[in-house]
Order: sequence, then C-alpha cells, then structure tokens
Amino acid sequence: MKRNLLKFATICLASSLALTSCDKDNDNDVDINTLKSEVLENTAKNVIEFSYSEMLAKVNTFKTSIADLVASPTDAKLTTARNNWKEVRAVWEKTEAWLFGAVATEDIDPRIDTWPVDFNEIDQLLASSTVLDAAYFTRLDQALESSDEDIVDAANAMRGFHPIEYILWGEDGTKTAAKLATETRAKQYLVALVDNLQNLTKEVYESWSNGYSNQVAKAGNGSTEFATQKGAFIEIVEAMAGICGEVGEGKMGEPFNNQDPALEESPFSKNSMADFTNNIEGIMNIYQGKFGSRDGKGLEDFVQYYNKSLDLEIKAKHTAAINALKAITNPFGTALLASNSQSTLVQNAINRINELAEVLNDGTDGNGKDLKDFILQYSN
Amino acid sequence: MFSTHKNKVLILSGTILSIIFINWACSKVDTDYTAPETEWLTGGSQTFFDGGNGAFGHAFNGMTAAQDKVHEIGDLVFEATFVSSPAPKNPGLGPLFNNVSCNSCHIGDGRSKIIGSDNSIATLFRVSLPGTNEHGEPLPVPGFGHQIQTSATAGKVREAIVRIAYTEKQFKLDDGTPYSLRYPTYSVENAYINFPSNALLSPRSAQPVFGLGLLDAIDEATILGFAAAQAKANDGISGRANYVWDAQKQKTVLGKYGWKANQPSLLQQVAAAFNQDIGITTPYFPVENSYGQPQHELYSNQPEITDSLLHAVEFYIRSLGVPGRRNATNTDVVAGKKIFVNIGCASCHIPAVRTKVNVAFPAVSNQLIQPYTDLLLHDMGEDLADNRPDFLASGREWRTQPLWGIGLTQRVNGHTQYLHDGRARNLTEAIMWHGGEAEKARNQFKALSATERNQIIKFLESL
Repeated sequence: MKRNLLKFATICLASSLALTSCDKDNDNDVDINTLKSEVLENTAKNVIEFSYSEMLAKVNTFKTSIADLVASPTDAKLTTARNNWKEVRAVWEKTEAWLFGAVATEDIDPRIDTWPVDFNEIDQLLASSTVLDAAYFTRLDQALESSDEDIVDAANAMRGFHPIEYILWGEDGTKTAAKLATETRAKQYLVALVDNLQNLTKEVYESWSNGYSNQVAKAGNGSTEFATQKGAFIEIVEAMAGICGEVGEGKMGEPFNNQDPALEESPFSKNSMADFTNNIEGIMNIYQGKFGSRDGKGLEDFVQYYNKSLDLEIKAKHTAAINALKAITNPFGTALLASNSQSTLVQNAINRINELAEVLNDGTDGNGKDLKDFILQYSN
Repeated sequence: MFSTHKNKVLILSGTILSIIFINWACSKVDTDYTAPETEWLTGGSQTFFDGGNGAFGHAFNGMTAAQDKVHEIGDLVFEATFVSSPAPKNPGLGPLFNNVSCNSCHIGDGRSKIIGSDNSIATLFRVSLPGTNEHGEPLPVPGFGHQIQTSATAGKVREAIVRIAYTEKQFKLDDGTPYSLRYPTYSVENAYINFPSNALLSPRSAQPVFGLGLLDAIDEATILGFAAAQAKANDGISGRANYVWDAQKQKTVLGKYGWKANQPSLLQQVAAAFNQDIGITTPYFPVENSYGQPQHELYSNQPEITDSLLHAVEFYIRSLGVPGRRNATNTDVVAGKKIFVNIGCASCHIPAVRTKVNVAFPAVSNQLIQPYTDLLLHDMGEDLADNRPDFLASGREWRTQPLWGIGLTQRVNGHTQYLHDGRARNLTEAIMWHGGEAEKARNQFKALSATERNQIIKFLESL
C-alpha cells in the first residue's frame, strides 16, 4: 500500500549492531523503560484517541450548522458551514499521520475520504426517489441484506468529505445559498452525508477509546495486538513515513507529474494546500506527543534520550517541508502547472517532503540513518 | 605488475570459493525443521520485518529505479477508486461491477473484509452452467456470465444479490474439547432475470496479493515434482496441477493463481479482476462483462485503462515482498512446526521451495522461500466442496493455499476468517474444515493434546 516507497532491508537483526558506536551514556535521571511506556500511553490516549474526540466535536458543530443551513439557507450560513467543514477536515488530515488500527483494518478511511467523487452517480441518485437519510448509508453497507432494488451501489465514492464538499461549493466553487435553497434533494443528501460522517467518526473514536488505545499503551505488556513495544513503535513510525509518501508521491506528485489539475483532491473548496499542510503537521503532533490542548511524552523524548542529532534533523526537515508548503500561495490546481511561476515551489515542496520521509524511514533497515532504525535499535 | 596480477587471481579464486560456499550453504534445506536462520526469511531476500497494518505492502528490495517507479504507479492504480463515465479522474466503472477499486477488496494488500458486515462485497460468486467450452473452461450462465455482479452504475440493474446463511454444528475434539463449524448456504436472490436452477455457484473471497512474484518464479517442473513425490509416497495425498486456458498465449498452460489454480498468469489474473470485479476493460479483455446483456452499452467497450497501467498493476503485485516470521525460535513455535510436519500438514503445505533462476529479474531469482504450498489441487472433501468444476479442478478440489503471512491476518485485516469463503472463524476451525485428502492429517490434529494443538496454532501465527 502506501508504504511501497519505503523499501526495507531484509536483515533487521543486523540493525542491533549498526548504531552501537552512537550509543551514549545518559546522564539524566529518566528511567528509559518508564519513558517508553509513557510515550506509548500518551501517544495513544492524548494524541490519537484525543484527535478523534476533537474531530467528533467538530463534526457535531458542523452538523448543527448544516441543520441550520438547510432549514433556511443564507450566504452567511453557507459560509459558516463551509468553515466548519474545513475545521473538521483540518483535524482529519492531521489524523492521516496515524492511519492504523480500525481506520485501516475496518476500511474506514475509504468510506470517510474517498476521492474522486462519482458525479454521475450522485446526479442520478438526486434525480431518483430513493429516500436519502442516514439509513440509506447503512443500507449501502449492508447491501446484501437489503432487497431494495433502488439502492445505488457505488457506495464508497458517494460519501464522506468530498461529496459534502461538492454540494457545499458546487463543481466550480460558486454555489450560492439561493441556489442551494432550490436543491431540495441535494439538501436531504447533505444532511444524510453529514450524519454518515458523524457515525464513521464515532466508529473510529470508539475503536480507540474502547480498547485500541490500551492495546498500544500496553504494548509488550499484556497487549494482544502488540506483543512488543517495538511493534507498536514501528507501527507509529511507518504511519508517519507513510503519510509523507502519500502526500509527496500521490496527492501532490500525481497531479504535478501529469500536469493535470483534474486529479487534484479537494478541488471544489480549493482546500488542497491546507490538506497537505495538515497531513505533514500531523507528523509533528505524533512525534511530539501533542494535540490541541493535550501535551505529554512523545517519540521526541525517546529520541532525545539517545540521539539528539536525529531529533534535530527530524525537526529541521519537518520545518523545511512545512515552510515549503506554506510558500505556495496559489491554489494547488493552478500552482502545479508548469506555466505558473509557483510550479517550482510545488516541486520544492515535494522534494522537502521526500527528504522528511527519508529521515523517518529511508527504506533500508539497519543503516542507522533514520527514525525506524532508531526504533529497531532502542526498543524491545 | 606481477603482484597485481597475483592479487587478481587470489581475489578471483576467493570469489569463486565464496560463491561455491554460498551455493552449498543455500542448497541445504532444513529437513529437521530446527529453525535455523533461514526460518525467519519467509520470502528469501524479499522478506520484510514489519508486523503491522502495512505488513503485506512492501516493494521488493534490489529493484532498479525504473522498476521501483513502475511499482509505485501500479500501487496508485491498485488504490484508485473508479467512478462511472464520463469523469475527469478514473472513469469506466461498471456498468456492472462488484467493487470500485482493487484495494477495497484486497484491503492492505490482504484479505477481504469480514463476511457478514459488508457481505455483498466481501465475497464474489463465480457461476457457470454444467459442461465446458472447447478450452475446458466452465460455461457462462446466459445473462450472468462467469460471475454475479452485485452492483451496477446508476440507471442499470445489478444482476442479483447472493444471500449467505449459516448453520452452526457442534463437534468435539478427541479430548472432549468442543468446537463449532458454521456451514454456509448461498442463494441467489432478486435476480434481474431468472437465474437458472441448474447453474453452479462458487464463492471466492479476495486473497492476499503479496509474494505472487515469488510463486510465479517457482518452476513448473518443481510443482510437477511435488505431484510426482506425492504419488510415489502413496499415502492418500495426490495433488495434481490444473491446466487452464491462457487467453494471451492462446493455449492451455499450468494454472497457479486463484482458489482453484484457475488463472494461468498474473497478467490474466489482474486483467480478469479489472474486467469482472470493477467493470474496467483493458487491451487484454476489451469487452465489458455485461456484453450481450441489457446493461451493456456500446460506447463503454473501449479499453478503459491502458496496457501500460494494466502492466503496472501486474508488476505491483508481482513485486510485493513477504512478511518475515515472528517468534520463529520460540520453543512452542519450533515444537508446533515439528508436529505440523509429523502429522502430515507439510505434505501439501510444503515449507521450503526454491525458485528458478531468472537473470532478467534477480529479485525473485534462485530464492529459498517458505510459502507452505505445493500450488497443486487436492480433494478437500464434501464439506468444503463447491461442486463447481473449474478447468481440471473438480467440485471437491481446491489449490493448497500458501500459509505465509497467515498469522498477520488479524493485524492487517482485523479479523481471522479463513478459507475460500471466510467460513472458518479461526485457525482451528480452518484446520477442522479440511477433509478428503487432508482428512488423515486433520484427524491427527483432532487427536492431539491441547498443548500440542496450541503449539501448532502458535506456529501458524508465527508465519
């Protein structure tokens, strides 16, 4: 999957020898074993689980604004709803730096954030007489149990963030409240989509709060998912490196290499640059063990204990990637074109993100150059 | 000058000696199953030590930059969500299909979702009428083709849905420990036209797609050698190769892929999946699966993805490495492997196989791999039978499923449902479903002590 760019050497056993010369005695009083357990617990509970609870809170606010909007659409309410969508989206994009657990195994990511949108299916659905409510999406999930012949089947491509975006902004980003007011079916669909988004967010949040957080926190110490702490740390590092690959090679690289703005994600709201930036920001959230109001022990504390220069390198490359993304001020769909003066900035951002990916996981285990090697060496 | 020359000779002979030594060292197969170093390297040099969600998704080591790039392109297409035409990105879905992307069934390059939560897309159903065509291929069902597409694009009617019902039956192991198996029954419902009552139905869950390049690199003679050895042993195990129609070569060849070894090549496997499962035409299979049916539209018949993208996806699955063992030297695991061999499981689930030399693709060349399969068809008994022949495979025969990576199913796919239709809910159930040629080994497992059974399970979980 996304980790394809990250080739792994076969001989991970050798990694235990590779960095011995860098091993420094530590003169502070931290007990490293306690620290490692604290890092895992804080990462699971105060970063990952908390991020999904934050997302759920934002979805709830968004849902209220949508109810208000469809009851009597005004341009001001439309703006509020759009801003709330962006706020939910900002949290979600950050959480894409930790796409493991239920969000991966229960196939939630494709249901919440599939791209592209199937316009034809949506248009047909809106033209049909199918009742559009939250139960409609439950039926999509359980199409087999249903004998409903009306059901439209392109389940994943018709829900989640982007169909909502499509209705709120319109294909060219010029939707007005007056236009939305006339779209009775689209309004029903919008309400159902947001209900579905709320349900999916709840599903992810509860998977962590009802057990998966403890599985990560107790890794190597009674966890049935993670027999070792090393396993949990590797899962985290792979996810951090994975999102770099996804942004650099996929979300940015594919439209840029093909010079095709039609391949851009979040094109209606012109929110792509914010998406990419939040994806990369998420990496530092999990590395530092901070999310919103929560702050505790993170991987950085573990890394600093043994290898301060690696810690500095990760942070420097992360800052460089964020700065490179922020330097792009045009919408991504415009900036990526070779004729645009900002296309060199797009190339630069892709390069910086690839460099960040390298210091997280360069694809070769045991050469002692990246965060994954650090984990292989210093965790059990 | 002289000394330089001498050095060269020394280096050369040293190199030759080490090559000889390496070849000798590599040629030893661990007949005692004592878990030496190679035990860890399930996929030879293409083994990856990642026991997480992404365990099945690692690109081969040692490929050229161009090969890495093709792998990446294939990865993007494997993940791409297809939508109905016309559309700016990924058009071509349907009009009849089972799912919208490769990875929505092969989740994390692994198995399909748990049956029951999303069942219309967790398992697909092959269908045919009794008899074969001139190539030995099962006959399509008029109006349905070779597979029931349970979804359709807007304005089109899906072919049918298939309902799954289970009947629980209680059993006891020899020591009295109870276990339960769920017997599935399948019924075609809401068909858009009458579904013939004599049509045959075979459920197929999506399989993991890693390690296929290494299986592809196993020489045909090696596979036939397994069949010959089993025949010679004359102990009730009699695997045989399936021979299937290769649409590209236009001839019958040995089949290796699919639950019944019914696909001749990775390329045909991928092209057929695009065509049948997603409704995407390719230069390999340029005609929509709906051809001849009322859902068909003429304009949708041109290849919907290009030859190069099709080949990129083929190369993507060809170049996915294999997860390494965990706990291979654990005492229980080592003991479990011994029992696994002693009670006869390893007669078909062959632990160590060497791939052939391939100078064109060194990544898979001459590797000692541990796929735990002979890639042969075996009679698996009445309970597992789908009663639908597929080329030479009878209604009771299934291909030995590779066991590598099986212990990571929970981590990658979040469940432990096994066998061709996910009916087994854990490894013990999967073993107890074995019948036919495997009945003897199954009964030996049934007679083991709880400790010994637990050791076998631990061994399987370490794969």
